[in-house]
Amino acid sequence: METDWSKVMEVFATGIIGVFVVMILLQILTQLSTRIIDFVENFGKGEESSPEPKSPTAPSKD
Amino acid sequence: MLDILKDLIYSSGAVSLTGGNLVMWLVSFVLLYLAIKKQYEPLLLLPIAFGILIVNLPLTFLMEPEHGLVWFFYHYGIELDIIPPLIFLGLGAMIDFGPLIANPKTLLLGAGAQAGLYVTFFAAVLFGFDLQEAASIAIIGGADGPTTIFLTSKLAPHLLGATAVSAYAYMALVPIIQPPMMKLLTTEHERKIVMGKLRPVSKLQRVCFPIVTAMAIMLMVPTAAPLISMLMLGNLFKESGVVERLSKAASNELMNIVTIFLGLSVGATMTAGTFLSPKVLFIFFLGLFAFIVSTGAGLIMAKIMNLFLKNKINPLIGAAGVSAVPMAARCVHKVGSEANRRNYLLMHAMGPNVAGVIGTVVAAAILLKNLG
Repeated sequence: METDWSKVMEVFATGIIGVFVVMILLQILTQLSTRIIDFVENFGKGEESSPEPKSPTAPSKD
Repeated sequence: MLDILKDLIYSSGAVSLTGGNLVMWLVSFVLLYLAIKKQYEPLLLLPIAFGILIVNLPLTFLMEPEHGLVWFFYHYGIELDIIPPLIFLGLGAMIDFGPLIANPKTLLLGAGAQAGLYVTFFAAVLFGFDLQEAASIAIIGGADGPTTIFLTSKLAPHLLGATAVSAYAYMALVPIIQPPMMKLLTTEHERKIVMGKLRPVSKLQRVCFPIVTAMAIMLMVPTAAPLISMLMLGNLFKESGVVERLSKAASNELMNIVTIFLGLSVGATMTAGTFLSPKVLFIFFLGLFAFIVSTGAGLIMAKIMNLFLKNKINPLIGAAGVSAVPMAARCVHKVGSEANRRNYLLMHAMGPNVAGVIGTVVAAAILLKNLG
């Protein structure tokens, strides 16, 4: 059976390019999602640790 | 009395034995020896070796379609694609993606190592294999047993035994095959590079990773769905922390049960008729070639990345881009610490190592899309 070299080249090229494209996109998504989560978590922590506004002191009876 | 004795002898399997059967017994005994005495991937090699032995005992008809016991395991487990995804479920429940999330750049190393797989595809075609067979042989370079079985059972089921045994054998031989390649493609100075501590990864990031990854990969390469969905579900079980029973069941009981059926079924495909051909020798040779080239491609990818990175990575971790988890990462750590005692590369190498699992699945899915 004769080898279909154009198909071989197609599988070879689309394979290598395809794997890289998928993995690069996954890398970008992972970086993006972790940064968003970092931001949200740090924002939450910042809110927790910020000093609470002083409660208005009760007016003195004196 | 004599007639009964004659009848007993002629109906026994012994008289139907062929030279091929005897050779396959020998193959089985060698694998049993490697599994029991040398402990090379014993969880898989032991049932595979026993499967080879029992299927090469004449007149047992264990692989007789619609009748044989092992045929049912093979048909429902492998032909219908049940077992490899279940193995991935268990694998997901065991894998820690933390090092990958902490350093997502290592995903590129997982991709780089797959380049070796496509080089082998090309080489296998040159050796006279058809495209489907070449793809099944090339995937051995990913050093991922379940993915090799998944792809071969779809593209070239007659090569299943040879490709599976080859993949598991080379996974077991990582500490022998990889270090010479690592030393050949890196300088002493590069091997001494010390990498900083990985940043901590929060629980929310760990929980989100399998969800984001499953969605992204399945949207881009739908043919990867059976494997990647189960891998990420298993990981979500683990990282969510709310289904400890399911996580343990997936990584222990289920994994062990399916491993028995997988090993036995794969071994049972290796009858003398299918296994004893010159093609099989080429498969073992090309499998080794695939594994070596994939290791080299991962190392070269790491060196290319270093051209652009401010904080250099130790290029050795590129060799862990093949998915033999965690053997490849351990091997990287060992070679790195030999070059520099202060080097602790294990966790850094786990990133590309688990990226390699994802990369091999993606590569297999693309091959399946193009050739299935």
